[in-house]
Amino acid sequence: MEPKELAELVLREALGLGADEVAVAAVRSTSRQVRFANNEITVAKTWDSLQVHVYLAKDRRIVVTSLSNVDPGAIKEALKDLMSLLAVMKERPDYAPLPEGPFTYEPIPGLYDKALAELGEKAVDLVEEAINKALEAGGKRVAGTLAFGEEEAILLTSKNVEAGGRRTRAELVVRALADGESAGVGTTCGTRLKDLDPALAGEEAGRFAKLSLTLEALGPGKYDVIFGRPASAVFFDIVAGMTSAFYVDSGLSCFTNKLGQKVASEFVSIYDDARLEAGLGSRPFDDEGLPTARKAIIEDGVLKTYLHNSLTAKRHGTTSTANAGWIVPRPWNVVVRAGDRTDEELLAEVKKGLFVNNITYVRFQDYAKGDFSAVIRDGVFLVEDGEIRKGVKGLRLSDNVLNILSSVRALSKEARQVFHWWMEWGSPAVITPLVLAEKVGFTVPTK
Amino acid sequence: MKDLADLAVELALKMGADYAEARYHDDRANFYVLRNGVPEVAGFDRARGIGIRVLVQGALGFTSLNRPDRGLLERRVREAISMARASARMRKKPIRFSEEKAEEASWEARVKEPTEEVPLEEKMELLFDIDKVLTDPGEVGVHVPFRLLQLLESRSERYFVNSEGARISSIVPRVEFFSMITALEPNRGTEQDMVQEGASRGWEFIRELRPIELLRERTRALGKVLREGVSPPKGPVDIILGSEVVGLMVHESCGHPYEADRIMGREAAQAGESFVSVDMLGQRIGTEVVTVVDDPTLEGSYGYYLYDDEGVKARRRYLIKDGIINEFLHNRETAAVLGISSNAAARASGFDREPIVRMANTFMLPGDHELEELVEDIKLGIYIKTFGEWNIDDRRFNMRFIGREAYLIEKGEIRGPVRRPILEITTPGFYGSIDALDKNLAFSAATCGKGDPVQGVPVWLGGPNVRLRNVRLGGL
Repeated sequence: MEPKELAELVLREALGLGADEVAVAAVRSTSRQVRFANNEITVAKTWDSLQVHVYLAKDRRIVVTSLSNVDPGAIKEALKDLMSLLAVMKERPDYAPLPEGPFTYEPIPGLYDKALAELGEKAVDLVEEAINKALEAGGKRVAGTLAFGEEEAILLTSKNVEAGGRRTRAELVVRALADGESAGVGTTCGTRLKDLDPALAGEEAGRFAKLSLTLEALGPGKYDVIFGRPASAVFFDIVAGMTSAFYVDSGLSCFTNKLGQKVASEFVSIYDDARLEAGLGSRPFDDEGLPTARKAIIEDGVLKTYLHNSLTAKRHGTTSTANAGWIVPRPWNVVVRAGDRTDEELLAEVKKGLFVNNITYVRFQDYAKGDFSAVIRDGVFLVEDGEIRKGVKGLRLSDNVLNILSSVRALSKEARQVFHWWMEWGSPAVITPLVLAEKVGFTVPTK
Repeated sequence: MKDLADLAVELALKMGADYAEARYHDDRANFYVLRNGVPEVAGFDRARGIGIRVLVQGALGFTSLNRPDRGLLERRVREAISMARASARMRKKPIRFSEEKAEEASWEARVKEPTEEVPLEEKMELLFDIDKVLTDPGEVGVHVPFRLLQLLESRSERYFVNSEGARISSIVPRVEFFSMITALEPNRGTEQDMVQEGASRGWEFIRELRPIELLRERTRALGKVLREGVSPPKGPVDIILGSEVVGLMVHESCGHPYEADRIMGREAAQAGESFVSVDMLGQRIGTEVVTVVDDPTLEGSYGYYLYDDEGVKARRRYLIKDGIINEFLHNRETAAVLGISSNAAARASGFDREPIVRMANTFMLPGDHELEELVEDIKLGIYIKTFGEWNIDDRRFNMRFIGREAYLIEKGEIRGPVRRPILEITTPGFYGSIDALDKNLAFSAATCGKGDPVQGVPVWLGGPNVRLRNVRLGGL
């Protein structure tokens, strides 16, 4: 069955069963992945999938489902089960109807690339290129993942929405290890084969690993720090994710009650841009079918908006920002406004501080306050008089989201699109330069 | 679609695979979410499909599909083989699997009260009843402005077949309660508390858990910490860690670094490697009172299984025995590298994921003391009962846990609450500081994430109350 046929079947059946409102997304995809470690390929994977996601509302109650069993009989059974579930749900006092269509959607260039869709076994060559570059640049053992694929999606709603499109994507992460704890990482991603630069990712990973060969322990304290692009991507994914009104209303955001307030230094502007050419998160419509648009989340340090779907917008007495998520609004492409310095000039501004290329394992003690810590890795260096002096080990980033935002002093001018496996807050991509922040807290183990 | 699993193995062998396996899943999960008293959403996920793995010329291929289409199956199996073959040139050493008995079995987790027989109304009402308690300051003694409550019930039916003759069918129902609450006290700020409890059981688990009472007690304690919590002491202290903290610490600092695929570098790109190397087997890592096991065979546990997702019969693994590094977690690939048998640690979170080395239920074995005995000879110390923030570096050497519910210990007695004591310690520092354990073994549930794409699998974490000597608390 074609995705459109499947979506039409669901819409027809659900309305026939008495649902007031229905939204259905059918997605057919073929995804592939080549993983590698110790300079060898460890596994090659292919996923074939046709899935359907359904939103039903009746009498101000909401239920949802995701189904990978797409036999017509199974779908009909699932819809009946959904209606039974609706019957025992309670009304939502903050219920809002789906947006009334039809809408027109301007196409976004660069989201589908036949060469990428047909890459197949040639992916092995790209992996080989990345590994070789990482080894040449100083890595001893190289690991990583090349993931790529295509999907075709269709969205239908009972409010006259019909939207769809196909897209391709690829992400390559390369991690090089030089010796024990010495490691570096490089990434490259895009919607087109020509966007991928395996040599660059490999070279960066190998170079950072080599630079980390001599590691020294530093004491705890507040340091000026330049965040590398992978680290910045993880940080701004958190920032953008925390502006989702769902998290704001759940105590999982440090931006609650801060609309219109200064939440960052004046150097910080962050945009959600679903219409970016060749953006990994670009899409002409959200999950409710509303046409998407570019918007400022934080501009010159001031929090401009939360991200909304129709439900959260009603709760907040505003209009949707076209960031649905049926339940949880989410960012599309997070764009961090670049500065005016080269990477080297930014480094030159640090008299004594750190360069932190990557952060992972971010965990919060208090989401509402923004207190967190994170593991730093894959290129952590002491910077003195604008130059990288030596690798540093044993430190942990321990600070607060709002403190770091307020301490940003400068950004470099070269922004790159980053996909990072640790972006837990739902951003498909973050486009970010290097970021310099002052007096950021770092701690060490005591025993 | 189940019959296509057998066909997939046949096809793969005909097309030139040296080994093939297929796993059919019919996974169903229902969820109910209440946010700040609003029935945010309810619904279900139903995933059905087949995952196929092949070994070809020493290279590994994987594919999955969810449509019962023979033509599609044939195409995807052929492609898995050709992708594996193409990647074989990028291998210096061929991948091999350890020799294992071809098991034929059928097993099921036993349930007293199937969740599908419990009226839907009762499940929603339970969440509303909890919310009612949390919003009554008379009940919990503190204002709780944010409340996220969730019930999850699932059933995983699996059929595994491989080209060596193994055939295993299983059914595992699970149930989970999750909550995340924020307590607020003017001038004192906020504190948050997360609870995750789960089991491979039926609704009887939720009844026994008594979530209303559990959250009432935890939220009262949280309010007390928020109102009365003092700063932790600066100098070296003795520390008692509660079961919940010990469980997560052994999961993170013993379970993960003893996963043989991490040790051998296969997860280096994302999750990372391990400070442990193969030649450290037999070396001392902790004091003699420390024994840590991982045991999938605990009936009713969240990480329960009798055969892993490579068809190998499960058993208890002694990771640390009397303070000595004793055994790693293996699948058939890592076991073959060391020339040993797998200890059945291969798990896949769904039909569309490859089985990789995972934990099941990881816990420190209890001692024979009472909690009071651990406390009575501490002059100055901290009792950290539950935790909030935590993390550990990618080699699993440098970890940090911040206490949520914590108390000062003075002259052998537990006193008032302490706010946010930070335990930032190395792995050998932790295991080398333990001098006593009490007899109260307890477990909590978690969803452990690993792999790319990430695979979340249900696990239990556990331990007794544990005493550490002479540790300085961390932070700036």
